[in-house]
Amino acid sequence: MKRVLALMMVLTVAVMVPSIVMAKSIKLGFINSITGSEAPIGENLSNGVILAIEDLKGKGVDVDLIKEDDMGKPEKSMAALEKLATRDNVVGIVGPYTSATSNADAKMAERYKIPLLIPAASKEEITRQHLKWTYRVSATTGDYGSILLDLATKLGKPKTMAILNENTDFGVSAAKSAETIAKEKGIKIVFAQAYSKGSPDYRSTLAEVKAANPDLVFMVSYAADAILLMRQSQEIGLSPMAFLGAGAGFSVAQFAAQKEISNGVFSSTQWTKDAPWGDSKAWFDRYVKKFGKAPTYHAACAYESMMIMGQAAAVSGDNREKLREQLHTGKWNGILGEVSFQDYDGYQNQRKAQMLVEQIQNGNFETVWPAQFAVKKPVWPFPGWKK
Amino acid sequence: MAVFFQSLISGILIGGVYALIGIGLTIIFGVMRVINFAHGDLLMVGMYLTYFLFRLLHIDPFVSIIVTIPLMFLYGAFLQKFFINRVLDALPQNQILLTIGLGLVMSNTVMLAFTSDYRILTTAYSSSSLRLLGLSISVPLLISFTITLVITAVLYWFLYRTDTGQAIRATAQDRSAAQLMGINVKRMSIIAFGLGAALAGTAGALISPTYYIYPQVGSVFTLKAFVITVLGGMGSIVGATLGGVLIGVVESVGGVYVGSGWKDVVVFIVFLLVLLFKPSGLLGTSKD
Repeated sequence: MKRVLALMMVLTVAVMVPSIVMAKSIKLGFINSITGSEAPIGENLSNGVILAIEDLKGKGVDVDLIKEDDMGKPEKSMAALEKLATRDNVVGIVGPYTSATSNADAKMAERYKIPLLIPAASKEEITRQHLKWTYRVSATTGDYGSILLDLATKLGKPKTMAILNENTDFGVSAAKSAETIAKEKGIKIVFAQAYSKGSPDYRSTLAEVKAANPDLVFMVSYAADAILLMRQSQEIGLSPMAFLGAGAGFSVAQFAAQKEISNGVFSSTQWTKDAPWGDSKAWFDRYVKKFGKAPTYHAACAYESMMIMGQAAAVSGDNREKLREQLHTGKWNGILGEVSFQDYDGYQNQRKAQMLVEQIQNGNFETVWPAQFAVKKPVWPFPGWKK
Repeated sequence: MAVFFQSLISGILIGGVYALIGIGLTIIFGVMRVINFAHGDLLMVGMYLTYFLFRLLHIDPFVSIIVTIPLMFLYGAFLQKFFINRVLDALPQNQILLTIGLGLVMSNTVMLAFTSDYRILTTAYSSSSLRLLGLSISVPLLISFTITLVITAVLYWFLYRTDTGQAIRATAQDRSAAQLMGINVKRMSIIAFGLGAALAGTAGALISPTYYIYPQVGSVFTLKAFVITVLGGMGSIVGATLGGVLIGVVESVGGVYVGSGWKDVVVFIVFLLVLLFKPSGLLGTSKD
């Protein structure tokens, strides 16, 4: 009997020791565009991470989170990563937001041998440069383009397309992907131009698009330029078969709220409240309740990224190499569905994402594609401008 | 050809607002030799004022400038009296640091108070346009251009026909000589900064129906204002007017014929060329 008791005690201690280790908080870093011109979408990422930290705590994972602001600037972002990796000595980093900053940070992560988990940047090259320490939850720009053109070719018979994108890493990458996919589908590109963002006047460029008379207009822009582009499209009287927006600026609530100009616009996205994974609807409601506004897919991506990083780090402890192994081999299931990081199509450590298409109908984002996940029927073709 | 005229017209209309921003900066520089790096942020404050006047009191953005102009004038005068005045004799880099700092305080205070959300001011005419000879002319831009013309005319009258205006110009020409002639230079500085702030705020009000509003929007316009002012000749009001319209047109036409991603490059090439052949700017007088 004594022996059994002793054995039990040893066992209890053995079980308790790792749980004592686990109770120690894990130091993680989070780089985001908290101020600067990307701040409006950056806020979504920050909020998503706040929810993740809460949920991790619920799972017994105590995260000591160190936040850094990069203002959307690559050089600031690199400095932030350097600080987190050396001075703060965090075990892993989630972030940054934009493609430009993520691409810069990916190389820094390689130098400092620190796991970097990119939540929402989609430039293809980021996970195509054989980097060992960079993992990406976000879909790629190729995913953004292919789901939209898939929808367009199934619903109609478009022959020509115009591409208008901002000249950032994200914009250029998305335009290039869309061009390749369009060619595969036999759609001719009749206009392709990159614009510099933040300009108050796109009328002359849109007049050119109109002169090219395309069936589809594919636009890539961050935040509020989407509103300007659509407003000025209405002014110019540009009315194609469909307006296709590659996420970002076309998926924010402020855009949808402008019913006059947003009605009928399609936008590809990585997550919606109707997404068939996890408790998306409950998560959406919780977010709205806490922050008083609706989340974009960026919030969901950041949430999931932090959840993955937290859970992986809880297993690996303070060892960066072990954390990387966890990320490499682990599987997670949350509001983005099943996530694992794979090598495919020239990508490394990339999540294979199921994209969704939303259409704005009367000021609301409705998930309309692919058919098995749709909650509303897509309106095709573009209903035209209200007089 | 239609595309050319389309871009020319949009360029001129948007250039009018640029001119307003440039004039404000040039007056401040002319009178005090202080480069106001918070100029864009003053414009941002004007935008938020317009936005809230519209949302809370339902005042049309173009009508609201009647409220925005005096408020922004007072705000500018306040900044001058309590901050800028203290560094008038300091090293230029200290003046620059102060104005940059003021700008940061403004944009971050606004962000704390109203979050970084993009605010969109939508009026019934936000995306309406007139059709003229196959060209579409944006109604809000046309209205704002007309208001710009009126304001510029009034400003010229003030600066050239009234005593205070002449005193401001005298201060701009030679600060010590003006002081010796009995002009209250300190007061002129306050009026000048107030005017500059009011003009920046007005420009903010005028573009808010067609643009979007967020706390960091100022940086876009600070750079533009700077280019316009230097292009036109630091301190020259006519120069800033010309510079504003020129930059608007170059942006718009360059956007079409060179590529819209390249339009800033075109603007800066024009800028460099002007400085190369006329280092003091289009209408600048080279002194000190």
